[in-house]
Amino acid sequence: MIKHKVSPQKIIIVFTGILFGIFLLLPMVTILFKSFCEDGNVTFKFYANLFSDGSIVKAFGNSVLVSSVSGVITTVLAFIPAYAINYTNINRKIKKIISTLIMFPMLLPTITYGFAIIYSFGNQGLITKFLGGHFVDIYGMAGLIIGYVIYTLPVSFMLINNTMGYIDKKFMIVSRMMGDSRLKCFLATVITPLISTLAVSFIQSFTLSFTDYGIPAALAGNIELLSTRLYNEMLGSLPDFNTGSAVSIIMLLPSILSIILISVLNKYNIRYSKISVVELSGNRARDIIFGLISAVIILCVLSVFAVIFIVPFVEQWPYRMNFSLEHITEIFSDDSLMSVCRNSLFVALLTSVFGTLIVYGTALVSARRSEHRRYGKLPDIISLITNTIPGMVLGVAYLLCFKGTFMHNTFAILVICNIVHYFSSPYLMMKSSLEKLNAGWETTARLMGDSWIKTVLRIITPNAVSTLFEVFSYFFVNAMVTVSAVIFLASTRTMIVTAKIKELQHFANFNEIFVLSILILITNLAVKGLVRLFAVIQKKKGKSI
Amino acid sequence: MKIKKTLSAILCAVMVLTACAVLWGCTSNGNEQVIIYSNADDEAVESMKKTLDANGYEGKYVFQSFGTSELGGKMLAEGKDIEADIITMSSYYIESAQAEYQMFEELTFDVNTNEEYPSYYAPFLANQGAILVNTDVLSANGLAMPTSVKDLANPEYEGYISVVDIQGSSTAWLMIQSLISEYGEDETKEILTDIYKNAGAHIEQSGSGPIKKVRAGEVAIGFGLRHQAVADKADGLPVDFVDPTEGNFTLTESLAVVDKGDNTNSLAMEMVKCIIENGRTDLMEYYPVPLYKGEIADSDAISANSKVFPEALTVELLEKHRSLSESCK
Repeated sequence: MIKHKVSPQKIIIVFTGILFGIFLLLPMVTILFKSFCEDGNVTFKFYANLFSDGSIVKAFGNSVLVSSVSGVITTVLAFIPAYAINYTNINRKIKKIISTLIMFPMLLPTITYGFAIIYSFGNQGLITKFLGGHFVDIYGMAGLIIGYVIYTLPVSFMLINNTMGYIDKKFMIVSRMMGDSRLKCFLATVITPLISTLAVSFIQSFTLSFTDYGIPAALAGNIELLSTRLYNEMLGSLPDFNTGSAVSIIMLLPSILSIILISVLNKYNIRYSKISVVELSGNRARDIIFGLISAVIILCVLSVFAVIFIVPFVEQWPYRMNFSLEHITEIFSDDSLMSVCRNSLFVALLTSVFGTLIVYGTALVSARRSEHRRYGKLPDIISLITNTIPGMVLGVAYLLCFKGTFMHNTFAILVICNIVHYFSSPYLMMKSSLEKLNAGWETTARLMGDSWIKTVLRIITPNAVSTLFEVFSYFFVNAMVTVSAVIFLASTRTMIVTAKIKELQHFANFNEIFVLSILILITNLAVKGLVRLFAVIQKKKGKSI
Repeated sequence: MKIKKTLSAILCAVMVLTACAVLWGCTSNGNEQVIIYSNADDEAVESMKKTLDANGYEGKYVFQSFGTSELGGKMLAEGKDIEADIITMSSYYIESAQAEYQMFEELTFDVNTNEEYPSYYAPFLANQGAILVNTDVLSANGLAMPTSVKDLANPEYEGYISVVDIQGSSTAWLMIQSLISEYGEDETKEILTDIYKNAGAHIEQSGSGPIKKVRAGEVAIGFGLRHQAVADKADGLPVDFVDPTEGNFTLTESLAVVDKGDNTNSLAMEMVKCIIENGRTDLMEYYPVPLYKGEIADSDAISANSKVFPEALTVELLEKHRSLSESCK
C-alpha cells in the first residue's frame, strides 16, 4: 500500500539534495573554477600573481599569528570559569550567573566589538579614561587579539565546560589518596582527560578568528590579514574576481585542515563508563580565587561593551559628556535605519523558520530508524562540508555564482546563505536529540495504521519541541549577528543591520553603530528569553502529566 | 493532550509566518523607489535628502552610501547592471565609467556651470583639502603648528598625525596632488614615505577618518576636508585648520543617471534636476566652493590659496598616483 507512493523521506532528501546542490556545490565549484580558469583555459596565473609579490604570504602569516595567539589566550581564559563551575563549591546561583554572562558576546555582531574596543581602549576611550592613561595601542595586533579573544571565549568555554562535566571526579580522590601532590593530581585527573578538548578549543578559536571579517574591519590598522585582503579583492577599488577566488581557496584550506584535526581529536576524547557524583573537597581559598578570577574575566569582557550603552546617550563624546537622548530620537525617526532593522528581523525570522524545517526534516531521516535511513548519509555529508566553509568564502561564492541572475539582490539569497552557512550545528543538535527518543515509535504507529507524517506530527514533534525551539533560536541569533557572508550579498533594498554597520563605519558614525547593536542585542535577548520561557512551560507541563 | 501540543506548535508556526508576511509587506513596499548610490559625506547626503523631501520626493528614493573606492569598484564591476538609478560620485570616476560602459544618460536639462563639464553629469559640490589640527592635543604635547603638507613628514609628529590612504578614498588625492605639483614625483615619494611612517596605524580608508580622529583627540594633526574642520571650529570644538603653503586642491562630485534602457526610472532625472536647481544654496553651507554661475562664496569659508592640478584628473592618473603612494608604505 505504501510501496507505490513516493515516501516523504525520499521527498525530503531529494529536496535537500537539490537545495544544497544549487546553493552549496554549485557556488563552491564556481569559485574553484574562477580561481583556476581564464577565458576557458586552465591557469595558475592568479595564484602565481598572488604569491609573486609576497604580500599574500605576509597576510596569511599575520592571520595565522594573530589567530594562534588569540586561540591560546582564549583557551587559557575559558578554562578558568569552566573550572570554577565544575571543580569548586561556589554557590550554584553564582555558577549559573557565570555560565550565562560569559555567553554575552555571542549576542552581538563581531563588527560591533571592534568599535566597542576603539571607544574603550582608544586615547579617549572609556577604560583609558577610567584607568587614567593610554596603555595599549589597539590599532593592530593588540586590538585584534582583544577582539578575537572576546569573540571566541564563549565557544571555548562551552567546549571545555561540557567536557569537564563528563569527567569522573572520583579519580581526583583516588589520586590524592595515592599520595600525589596537588599539581600532579591536577595534571593527571583534570588536564589529561581534557587535553583533546583543549586542543579542539584552540583550533575552533583559531578558525573563527582566522575567517572573521568584523573585527579586522575596525581594528586591523595597517596590518593586512587574509580576510581584509579577500574583502579588498572582491569589493575594493579595483575588483578582481579571479584573484579574489584564489584568496578564498587559500582561506578555505586551514578550515578544512582544522575540521579534520577536530574529528581526529574527538576520537581521543576519554570516555568514562559512568560519572560518579562526588562531593568536592572543601577549599575556600580555591573557591574564592577561581570565583574572583572568573568574575574579573567576565567583568573585563562586559566592560568593553559598556561604551555601547554610554556613547549614544552622551551629547558629544568625549567633549560634552552630559546625558542626551538626541541621538536616540534621531535614529529612531530615521526611516532608512528603521527599515534596515525590519529587514534584519525579516531575514532572521525566515532563516530560522526555514532553517528549522530543513534541519528537522533531514535529521528525521538520518536519526530515526527506517528503511530510508541510508539516505541520511547525505545530510551528514552536507553538515560536514558546511562546517568547513567560512562565511566569507560562501559569500564570495554566492556573489560570483548568482551575480546577474534573478537571485541577485534578493532577500531569498540572504536567507538561503544563512541556512547553508549555519546548517551544521543545529543539524547535529537535532539529530542527537532525535536519536535519544524511543526508536520503536514509528514501527508501533505504523502497525496501528498511522502514516509516517502522522507519526512525526503526533508523536515525535511534541517530544522534540524544546530542541526545535533551540534550533530556531540558534538560527535566529546567528542570522542577526552574521556579517562575513552577507556583507557580499546585501543590497540597498535588502540592507541588513550588520552590513549597514560596515557602511556607517566608513563615516565613523558610532552613535548609529552602537544603537543598532543595542537593537540587535535586545532582539536576540527577547528571542532567547521566549525560547527559555517556552522550555520552562514545557517542563512544567511534562511534570503535570 | 498531544494533539493539543501539536496544535499549539502549528499555531506558533502560523504566527511566525504571519509575522514574516507582515514584515514582507513593510519591507517590499518600496520597490518603485529610486535608488541613489553615493560616495558623498553625511552632510552632503543629508542636504540632498532635505532638498528632495522639500520638493515632494519624500519616501520616493533611498540612499545607499559607499566609500569612494567601494563604489568605484562596484561601478567598474557591474556597469549598467548596477542596482542604482542615480549615482553621486567623484567626477573623474563617472567619466571613466562612462568611457568604459556608456552607462549614463544625457542630462535632459541645462546646467549653468562656471566651467565646462560633460553632458551626462552635473557637479553638485566641490571638496577642498586642508590640514586639520586638534589644538588641545597639539599644545598638550608641545608640538609646533604645521604650515605645509611637507611639515607632516617631520619626525616630531610621529604618532600624532592621521592621513587618508589613497587606496580607500580620493580625499588622499588632494594631499598627493599638492605634494606632486609643488615638489615633483621624486621628492613627493620621500615626503610621503616619512608621512606614512609618522601616521603609522592612523592611515585611514575613509576621507572623513582624519577629522574623526582629530575631533576625538586620537591624533593632533590630520589631512582631510577643509569644510569639516571649519564646521567643528564653529561648533566650539578644539579643532582648527591650516591652509598649507602648497595650496588647497579641489575635487568635484557629480550626479549622473544610470541608463537602464526601458527600465530607467523617470523620476531619477527629475530628482537630479531638483537637487541641482534647489539644493545648491544648502550644499554651499558646508561646501563653499562656487560651481554655478551667480554663486558667491563666503570670503573666509574658502581658501585664498586654491589651486588646480596641472594635468586632467582621470582614473588613470589616480592609478599612477596610487602606485606611487603604495611604493611609499
